[in-house]
Amino acid sequence: MRKAIAALLVLAVLIGGVFAGGAEEGGQSGTVKLTFVETMTSPSRTQVIQGMIDEYEAQNPGIEIELISPPYEQADNKLTMMLNSNQELDIIETRDYTVKQFVNNGKLTDLTPYLENWDATDDWMDLTWEAAKTVNDTPYFVPQFFYVKALFVRTDILDQYGIEIPTTMDELYAACKELTGKAPGQYGLAFRGKANTYKISDMMLLGDVGNVNVDNFHEGLDGKFFLDNEAGREALAKYVDVFRTACPPDSINWGFNEQINGFVSGTTPFLIQDPDTFSSFAGQLDPSQYTVVPLPVGTTGKRYLDYGFNGLSIPTTSKHPQEAWDFIKWMTSPENNAAFCKAYGPLPIYNSVFQEDPYFSTGGYQAWAEELNDENTVFVKYPLDAPEYPAWAQVQEQSMQSLLLGNITIDEAIQTWSDYWGF
Amino acid sequence: MKNKWYILMMIPAFLLVVAFLYFPLARGIVMAFQNYNMFDLTNVHFIGLDNFKAVIGNPNVSFWQILGNTVIWTIFSLMFQFLLGFGLALLLKKPFAGRGVYSGFVFYGYALSGFAIGLLWSWLFNGQFGLFNDILTRIGIIDEPIGWLSNPKIAMFSVIVTNVWYGIPFFGIMLLAALQSVPNDLYEAAVIDGCGVVRQLFSVTIPYIKPTIISTLLLRTMWIVNFPDIIYAMTNGGPVNSTNILATQMINTVFKEYDYGKGSAIGVIIMVILFVYSVIYLRLTKSSGDDV
Repeated sequence: MRKAIAALLVLAVLIGGVFAGGAEEGGQSGTVKLTFVETMTSPSRTQVIQGMIDEYEAQNPGIEIELISPPYEQADNKLTMMLNSNQELDIIETRDYTVKQFVNNGKLTDLTPYLENWDATDDWMDLTWEAAKTVNDTPYFVPQFFYVKALFVRTDILDQYGIEIPTTMDELYAACKELTGKAPGQYGLAFRGKANTYKISDMMLLGDVGNVNVDNFHEGLDGKFFLDNEAGREALAKYVDVFRTACPPDSINWGFNEQINGFVSGTTPFLIQDPDTFSSFAGQLDPSQYTVVPLPVGTTGKRYLDYGFNGLSIPTTSKHPQEAWDFIKWMTSPENNAAFCKAYGPLPIYNSVFQEDPYFSTGGYQAWAEELNDENTVFVKYPLDAPEYPAWAQVQEQSMQSLLLGNITIDEAIQTWSDYWGF
Repeated sequence: MKNKWYILMMIPAFLLVVAFLYFPLARGIVMAFQNYNMFDLTNVHFIGLDNFKAVIGNPNVSFWQILGNTVIWTIFSLMFQFLLGFGLALLLKKPFAGRGVYSGFVFYGYALSGFAIGLLWSWLFNGQFGLFNDILTRIGIIDEPIGWLSNPKIAMFSVIVTNVWYGIPFFGIMLLAALQSVPNDLYEAAVIDGCGVVRQLFSVTIPYIKPTIISTLLLRTMWIVNFPDIIYAMTNGGPVNSTNILATQMINTVFKEYDYGKGSAIGVIIMVILFVYSVIYLRLTKSSGDDV
């Protein structure tokens, strides 16, 4: 038995030695090692970020950055776990819907003092400031890019049938109906029936409704759920009607990939999506076959858009916040921000990039340049900080599907949603 | 002294099992009784049975509907997986040229991940661009495309078909191994006694491999109840909850709603149901199992 205990002790010392040795290495060599966790992981994106890190390390000897890339589906959870177990992280990707949670749990550094001494913020778009100050009116991160919806149109198919590009929602619906049935299997809109369907349906409905609190558009100015009024019921009726008459019946089960497939195959020549969708068409569609236009306006004459974003934060556990900040400043500078967005798809955060970089001021991105500066565009926010928000996607999806299939009425659906949000 | 070493040798395995099985299990059970939401971890406290009440009384996702779906999903998947897998094993029992290669191909599906299978089959079942609708339309059986995954009345059928396809090799492999252990003498004796093929199957083969059948059926039931991969990839429980089972609801609660408390409560409910099921199942099959 004594031998066994002795052996155990030796084992413990060996294991301890290995770990202790590993920990000391970083400290002795004199370089600062930063840990960077990305959350919107994809193989091509990781490659872009790693390339930028390599460049930064070459310019800044003495800084070493380790990139951690958890798989996309688990990334937010994984990061939450790492933060909650107080792991030492220096740079993290915070998302629009995780920022509140991280701030609640006291994990993010207030970046105000850093931002005050950074000239580039003068060039930020208004939207950039809005996004940065999502929680408590305090900048907890530097936004990296935006996702804003616009309308993708297969011009080749529209030309074939002599249909104009729509500028209002009613024109879009009419065009969808006209297209449907022109050829076997021809429909109008690449409808989104599952997986965060509200992100598209809300934008289609809001333009007809208006009168909402822009900081939480679920709340109408009358204090009721935004669809709980005559205009809301009519907008929903049109939405249900276009699904039933001008969209593939199967699209009630369509997610992102099916939408793209419908658009690329020409089955559904209209698609409402984010700018990074471009990369999905690569090699399948020629740029001459399609165009992008601002989202059609509703009967109120306005288009309401929500914007998705992501930013870089410094966790409170970081031992090298200054070095982390220097990297964030470099990574989100106008040149690097433009390069990053070009490689990856979404919209940059600087006014000057939109105005001066031909990549964003011409071609497909023009639609967004126009959309962002149009006086008829109203940016609205989801109640991202409400405890009800995370479960909303499922509730909305199931009741919207019931409504589309005719299992419940418009009034019942609105009642369900009002009840859920406590209006 | 020498024989004491086995204790030391077992410690690593023991620690691994405790760290990666029993600790998370205990943690999950504790969480089921806590307000444990990733949204606000500063406010974790015990709330008694509130998570269970919330899960069972959820006004937006009927607990009884998803429980019913779980039962349908499990029974039909299990039944057809077993019958077809057993048939496959019987066919592969007798040696024939190329049997090894053939079984390799047949069993290969089982090596794929459930999620990948789900993605694959969701394209086959796609109502607009899918292979099945295309074939059926071309040979003139249907005029209108069938909404395999978009019609709430058909969606459960489609995901079960996929699961059956996926599970057949499991029974094929397990039962084939058992079949090969049946002594040939028994069949010779049966033939002398005048048994036909059917009688041989029911009087010799099945009684002999009964213990394998009983244990594989039990294992497979638990596996299917806890197997959300295919549904998650194909319909994510929709349309209108028609394919939502306890396991998919648990995943959605944890990963989409960030509510680990309620998610764990569903996990505990699944565990209790499977425990009760196992006890009853083993008791029912034990008495009749003695005569083998």
